[in-house]
Amino acid sequence: MTKDTLTGIIAVAVGGIYTATALVLPEMRMGDKLGPKIFPLVVGIGSVLAGLALILGDRRPGKQSKKADFGFVEHKDLWLKIVLTTVVGIVYGLVMDKLGFLIPTTLFMLFISTLINKGRLVQNAVLSAVFAVITYGVFAVALKLSLPRGFLESLLPF
Amino acid sequence: MQEIFANLGLGFQTAFTFTNILWVFIGGTLGTIIGMLPGLGPATGVAILIPITFGMNPATALITMCAVYYGAMFGGSRASIMINTPGDASAIVSCFDGYPMTKQGRAGAALAISALASFIGGMIGMFFLVFLTQPIAAAALKFGPAEMFSLMMFALVATITLAEGNLLKGAVAIAFGLMLSTVGIDALTGIIRFTYGAEALQDGIDFLVIIIGVYAVCEVFKNFKDINAVYKFDSKHIGKVWITKEDWKRSLPPMLRSSPLGFIVGVLPGMGGTIATFMSYAMEKNLSKKPEEFGKGAIEGLAAPEAANNACSCGAMVPLLTLGIPGSGTTAVMLGALMLLGVRPGPTLFTDHPEIAWGVIASMLIGNIILIIINLPLAIPLVQILKVPTRIMLPIIMGLALIGTYFLNYSSFDFVVVMVSAVIGYLFSKLEIPLPPLVLALILGGTTEQALRNSLVLSDGSLGIFVQKPISAVFIVLAAASLVYSLAKRKKHAA
Repeated sequence: MTKDTLTGIIAVAVGGIYTATALVLPEMRMGDKLGPKIFPLVVGIGSVLAGLALILGDRRPGKQSKKADFGFVEHKDLWLKIVLTTVVGIVYGLVMDKLGFLIPTTLFMLFISTLINKGRLVQNAVLSAVFAVITYGVFAVALKLSLPRGFLESLLPF
Repeated sequence: MQEIFANLGLGFQTAFTFTNILWVFIGGTLGTIIGMLPGLGPATGVAILIPITFGMNPATALITMCAVYYGAMFGGSRASIMINTPGDASAIVSCFDGYPMTKQGRAGAALAISALASFIGGMIGMFFLVFLTQPIAAAALKFGPAEMFSLMMFALVATITLAEGNLLKGAVAIAFGLMLSTVGIDALTGIIRFTYGAEALQDGIDFLVIIIGVYAVCEVFKNFKDINAVYKFDSKHIGKVWITKEDWKRSLPPMLRSSPLGFIVGVLPGMGGTIATFMSYAMEKNLSKKPEEFGKGAIEGLAAPEAANNACSCGAMVPLLTLGIPGSGTTAVMLGALMLLGVRPGPTLFTDHPEIAWGVIASMLIGNIILIIINLPLAIPLVQILKVPTRIMLPIIMGLALIGTYFLNYSSFDFVVVMVSAVIGYLFSKLEIPLPPLVLALILGGTTEQALRNSLVLSDGSLGIFVQKPISAVFIVLAAASLVYSLAKRKKHAA
């Protein structure tokens, strides 16, 4: 499938769902009657129309765009790194409030460093710990910003 | 005229304190460092450095952000000159003659003219900025909802018509940005929209989280394929960071010509530094008596785009400060940073908080001077940062981006949004869907919708209001003309 056709399909699908959702929004009885619906309807229909134009434009002979290639197979290592970073990034955010700043940040940095900078465990461990301590020092101590406090932070005098 | 000088004096009063100057120095240095890193540009630099302003008073925070923005503009071309790898798209042109100068053993002269041209371009840009903001802001104060809606429409249309790339994909990006802007509780009626049952979405999607996702985290993803890149250069062969009289004579006229050009390009939404630098390079090559030297280390081939780029960054501040409309990805991030600090750029900023509006302008003038001081004597130590391997730099950028995300709302859900938007941004880049129009639409969506609804209430539902009001009609005509021109240009190009 070509890039324009795929973009068009996404625009039609997302625009369609969005427009359908906009249609069931409640109407106001007075004042701004069209209010909460009018803008979303215009945007949703616009997305569908732009998507259709992309799909139809891509069907003209000799005017086809390049094939969509995300490199899922060819660059599977790259995609593995992206997926793992995404998952670990989300988990990092979810555990920070419970475990404090220093431990999750060190572990997150160690994971990302190991993923990117393979085979240098000591270097990665030092980088991760130093990063966590410096950022904690800058934000929590110097700039006095609120950071989540866990076991380690409770042992600190500041 | 007198009023402008009085306001500028007020701005200097706000900006000129020891603490502020110190932060201009720190912000400018950090901005220069991030701006020079290959693959990461000013937008990423500003996005990940936003947290350093948290906890500061608003004026100092604003001044620091401007210093980061300006520093990133100064730093963008360092990697082009030293390792032939641009820091961002607007620094591509600097590779053409900057790197050949380095190969000829003139890296010192290249670094010096780059800093000097950035300074001169910045000062000329600031001159225009100082004299243009007041009248534009005063005119914009007379805008009602119809004029505001038409202006927003023009800005959105211009973002896709003036930039390169597929118009329809730009339109899709704008539609997606506008859709995201409508998620959450409708401010006018209290109705919950497009949350699909997710409570975390009721407050809407913070556009700064999306910005960090698509500019900082997504850039890290893009750089994953170059993680083994190690950039090497011999510091001993950089030479003295200064230029000869002959270099100066050759460079001054191109800098003076390119700066106004860059400024005008910067004012227009969607054009940005990349187009300004290419246009100034082409103009100087055409005007040169020795065009054959361009691309082989002609110093004016480096001076002109550098001046144009920094003048362009000043031009981009005009619609941002006076109308609240960011014209590029970097100014969109700047707008986000300003709003986070409780400052809503727009015409009322100049009447309600002149000390802040003019403080920002004055701080840019001060920043320009401090950055030339940083970038000339400290040029050699600063470029050593380029030797830090990408595999060490990327985790640090990633860590800073996520910590910045946490500080925005102290919300775990934002980590989901930032990571998902980075993945979507990466997929969009593979499909060649432009991200700046999406970000711009996301930022302007709320104001655009409000202006549309207020206009329709005033006109009792008639769309005629947008053409009956003269200023509004002008913006509609400009948007249509920009669309027609762009379509004609693309058709000619295709034929």
